[in-house]
Amino acid sequence: MRLVAHVLAMTVMIASFVTQRSSPDILPLRNSARLRESTSTLYAPGSERLRSFLLVVRGRQATSLNPYMAPLIALSWPATRWIRAYGLAVVLVATALALGLIAETQGVDNLGFPLFMMAVAATVWHAGAGPGAAAVVLSILCFDYFFTTPHGSFYIEAADRPLFVVFALFELMIGWFASTRRRIEQDLRLARDKLGVDVAVRTEQARLLELTHDTIFVRDMNDVITYWNRGAEELYGWTPGQAVGKLAQQLLKTVFPIPSDEIRAELFRTERWEGELRKSKSDGTQVLVASRWSLRRNESGEPLAILETNNDISERKRDEERIRALNSDLKQRTIELEASNKELEAFAYSTSHDLRAPLRHLAGYTELLRKHASSVLDEKSRRYVTMLQESAKRMGELIDDLLTFSRIGRAETQNTLVSLGQLVREILSEFERETDGRSIVWRIGDLPSLHGDRAMLRLALINLISNAVKFTRTRPQAEIEIGCAKGGPGEVVVFVRDNGVGFDMKYVGKLFGVFQRLHSPETFEGTGIGLATVQRIAARHGGRAWAEGSVDGGATFFFAAPKP
Amino acid sequence: MNGLGRILLVEDDPKDVELTLTALEEYNLANEVVVVGDGEQALDYLYRRGTFQTRTQDNPAVILLDLKLPKVDGLEVLQQVKADKELKVLPVVVLTSSREEKDMVKSYHLGVNAYVVKPVDFHEFVNGIKELGIFWAIINEPPPGSIRKQS
Repeated sequence: MRLVAHVLAMTVMIASFVTQRSSPDILPLRNSARLRESTSTLYAPGSERLRSFLLVVRGRQATSLNPYMAPLIALSWPATRWIRAYGLAVVLVATALALGLIAETQGVDNLGFPLFMMAVAATVWHAGAGPGAAAVVLSILCFDYFFTTPHGSFYIEAADRPLFVVFALFELMIGWFASTRRRIEQDLRLARDKLGVDVAVRTEQARLLELTHDTIFVRDMNDVITYWNRGAEELYGWTPGQAVGKLAQQLLKTVFPIPSDEIRAELFRTERWEGELRKSKSDGTQVLVASRWSLRRNESGEPLAILETNNDISERKRDEERIRALNSDLKQRTIELEASNKELEAFAYSTSHDLRAPLRHLAGYTELLRKHASSVLDEKSRRYVTMLQESAKRMGELIDDLLTFSRIGRAETQNTLVSLGQLVREILSEFERETDGRSIVWRIGDLPSLHGDRAMLRLALINLISNAVKFTRTRPQAEIEIGCAKGGPGEVVVFVRDNGVGFDMKYVGKLFGVFQRLHSPETFEGTGIGLATVQRIAARHGGRAWAEGSVDGGATFFFAAPKP
Repeated sequence: MNGLGRILLVEDDPKDVELTLTALEEYNLANEVVVVGDGEQALDYLYRRGTFQTRTQDNPAVILLDLKLPKVDGLEVLQQVKADKELKVLPVVVLTSSREEKDMVKSYHLGVNAYVVKPVDFHEFVNGIKELGIFWAIINEPPPGSIRKQS
């Protein structure tokens, strides 16, 4: 008996081993085992596992990635699978038969009965219904042939017929039970695997939410916090343990810019809301957040929860504030600057105005002195008087130019369409007397029209042309060209070019300054205000003035104003 | 040549007064010049008030008026003169250092007859004063009521 039990146990073990290695039907079970393994180690660092996980989730084909699964894949080839399954049925039934016969020789009768039952059960369990049915048929045939009298024949004596019928019925029942059980078991396993995958996916999603530094939390419709991620902990300072279960608005002391009823109404209408909220951290400091709310509803459409994401915009807000403050500061400074500019101009005006009176007196009395005392004055004294008069005259010119200059900033401009060509012709006719006796070649190109103040534009052109006339004085033949140059978009550029003494580009920045002169008054007279005036006029027209030149190589002065 | 009209010079700066008178003298126009130092005196003179109560009845042929004056400034004098039914016929010449557009515009609005900016150069100044004197005191026919010294 002992021997029989051992042999039986061994057989079952061998059978189960064989089926484990070979039976294609166990593949899903092994798969699910692998799946569990892979999901449980999924979150360890390393993207490889995550990748394989995602493949499992997507196609459940992670097995194909694994090299040692290859033989199993080969086994799942249909023909091999079929041979293995039915082979198992044959092997198990044969083993049961052999054991039954051995037992009989040992004097243990009717052991074949349960052995065949076990063979059928094992076949159904491991290889499925088809091989199970084969095992049932084989078992019944074997039982009929070997264990019913007469032995060695398919004929059954009347006495044994009930036994055979019972056997056959049992076989069928066992086969049926086993296959049903197996199906249930398989369904359960499939369901479990599916659940495992679902759980893994959900867990992964939850962990990803947890991973982000963005603040995310969920609260139910009673405002109780049900979820609190790492970003929320980082921003507000409360751990999930501290935050979950609390009332969100109470915990965060939320300050709403508009009534919260309105927010709720919009949330229910559009499922979402966005806005800026002021909230408090655990340490009491306030933080301004860009808040987005999303409403979650259940299947029947009832609102379940609100997912809220917050971004700390305090810094950005502060920057914006700073920029706003800087801007308004700048505006204020500009206004002040304009005011002080105006003041300065007024000051320049009244100063030069007040200076004129004593200067007039100086000039007047000097003249009277010269008249009255010319007979008693010696040559030297008369020269002194002349010097006094010249100085007074020069100062008078300076003051007059300064007055003109200061008036440009203050004067109201008349905006009309001015034909520069006509203006230049007018000016040139005025210069005729001044340039009498000099050899000047004038080259006047086509000149555009400008929107601007005629008197001012005239003054600017006079200054530029008189400069050209003045600084070509040393040339046997002066050449002065007035024309239109290519400027930026929406800009009209007029230039005055001469072949005069020119200037060093090093000093180009000084040219347009008030009282800035590059020549001594002995060489070229002037007050040094002309070009400053030109630039001022250009600026008042929304344009600019600049110059190009070289020492002894002539100079070109440009005047740009917006296109009409 | 007509007789010489009297000139009322309203000028606070004695140097300007001297130079103006010198210029007028040069052309023998200075013997009928009345000089007052501020706007109040000018009005007193015109209305024959205060120190001028006893002056002769007839009015000057022209008023040379500075704008920057103590007490009552030139523009105010001009305004009062031109607002007065009798005085408004008097020719008023603003003689000033100021080329301030505002002043010029205001003066013309108030009815000034001429606006002259004193040149710094003495020759120009003398010429200007001379021409003013000749024009207003000699050439121009003054309104009735102004006196004219027969030469």
